[in-house]
Amino acid sequence: MFEKKKSMWLFLLPGLAGLLMFYVLPFFGGIWYSLTDGSYENAFVGLKNYIAVWQNPMFQLGLKNSMELSLICAPLVWLLSLVIAQLVNRLRPRGAAFRNTVLMPYLMPSSAMLLIWLVLFDFGGVINRAVVALGFERVHWLQGMPMRVPIILLFVWKNLGFAVIIFTAAFQSIPEPLYEYARLEGAGFFRQTFGITLPLVIPTAFLVIILEWINAFKIFKEVYFIGGAYPDEAVYTLQNYMNNMYSRLNYQNVTTAAYSFAVIVFALFGALFFLQWRMLKRTTG
Amino acid sequence: MIKLAFRRIWEQKWLTRGLLMLLTIIILLPVVVTFLYSFFSPEEISAFMKTRGSADATKWMEIKLVPNMFSLNQYYEVLIRDMSVLKMFVNSVGYTVAILLGQAVVIPMMAYALSRFKFRGREALFFVILLLMILPFQVTMVPNVLTLRSLGLLNTPWAVVLPMWFTPFYIFLMRQFMLALPKDLYEAGQMDGAGTIRCYWQITLPVCRPVIGAAVALSFADCWNLVEQPMTYLTQRTDLQPLSVMFNQLAANSKGNEFAGATLYMLPALFIYLYFMKDILAGLQLTELK
Repeated sequence: MFEKKKSMWLFLLPGLAGLLMFYVLPFFGGIWYSLTDGSYENAFVGLKNYIAVWQNPMFQLGLKNSMELSLICAPLVWLLSLVIAQLVNRLRPRGAAFRNTVLMPYLMPSSAMLLIWLVLFDFGGVINRAVVALGFERVHWLQGMPMRVPIILLFVWKNLGFAVIIFTAAFQSIPEPLYEYARLEGAGFFRQTFGITLPLVIPTAFLVIILEWINAFKIFKEVYFIGGAYPDEAVYTLQNYMNNMYSRLNYQNVTTAAYSFAVIVFALFGALFFLQWRMLKRTTG
Repeated sequence: MIKLAFRRIWEQKWLTRGLLMLLTIIILLPVVVTFLYSFFSPEEISAFMKTRGSADATKWMEIKLVPNMFSLNQYYEVLIRDMSVLKMFVNSVGYTVAILLGQAVVIPMMAYALSRFKFRGREALFFVILLLMILPFQVTMVPNVLTLRSLGLLNTPWAVVLPMWFTPFYIFLMRQFMLALPKDLYEAGQMDGAGTIRCYWQITLPVCRPVIGAAVALSFADCWNLVEQPMTYLTQRTDLQPLSVMFNQLAANSKGNEFAGATLYMLPALFIYLYFMKDILAGLQLTELK
């Protein structure tokens, strides 16, 4: 660790300047923006914008959908990646090929996948054939509530691998003798999983759920790809609301909605980070 | 009895292998089918895409995997006859290269400062970066538009490129890796009289090869899938849009060449994935937050 070195500024300044210019200052500047009326005089109106936006049904719809989608996507990715990583780990030392394949979609542009998604989820498409073969009625996957399914699956398809990689790395750092001892004591696979593996990967599990939740909150691409700029009510997210307000040049509403969103997200993750930090402080003394 | 039988099957690991096999097939399916569809003739694929969207519950879309006649006409259309897709592809390449180059300069330096120097407010700065990482793009969108406009950069490629140079997530990723580097590494360097700059060039960067590779690959994935930024910063410049934004339109009015476009768009991603895979596995050392 270097102390009191002037050269630090050389390393810190470019990044710091950029962060300030494109992230921090706009963030604070925007607060002022959300408190004024955007007219020629740009008068201060207090919380009037906030009251108006919070009463706007489209904002409420977007907020509700963003929350719901992220609460479906993040735990889904988390659970699936935990299970897959555990399966891959069971095939140790082989099984790496499976893990590597799961990672591939993370690098694939989901924009290019959109075409095939539309074909698969068409009313007369392969997915519906499977649905009928299982004895159910065909579903209009690209309309209304069911539209969430292709969107969520596109998100899961793309983001699963990242979480699997993090989980397998954590599993592999658990010393093998622990398992050998457990096996000698007669513990089966599930006993080993719940007795050894899971308790030891709690910090990782926490990190993955946070990262995936952050990602899921930002879900917009998938909605835009499948639903377009003005998607169905069932998948109209807060991001859609903000983008539409932006294209109508209603900057006040965009920033007000954005800050409302930021406050919610900050409160949520701030609490989670703080909790995790406290836990870490306690365990490391 | 049943429990015992289940246990025996489970122990042979066939079930595990079978499940993972099934998963692999599901994951690869969309990529493989896109690839196959790119060898259909444009007429055939157009006709096929037109059968989409019918609400007639008596009709099915055909399940097509093999073309009537193997054809490279889609590629001919995309690469030679109709250059519009190719032009957007080139735009995508431009954004990606410009963003990655900038990030390569700024982000490792910032991570180095955050992980190797002691200064007041270091933890606070890291916390700010964590918070910025959470922020959705739209929160700083409007103020950024105003800044970029006053700099005269709105509706130029720089509007997309510049803010991306400082993406907080990659600062976070690199800092985590550098923080875990052993102290001895630097002590040895300092014994030899290396200053902070030489420690950066000759020790940190070479050792950080995996995480740099991982960050390049992950950042590539972001850049190659840009949507929000071009949509807001380049509203008046359809000629500057990257290909990722345009697949919607390509799907809506099928010209029959969209699957070749999609395949071409996937190929660089595939190469990056294969080339950087080892780095991603070694570099993503994110087991916990500290």
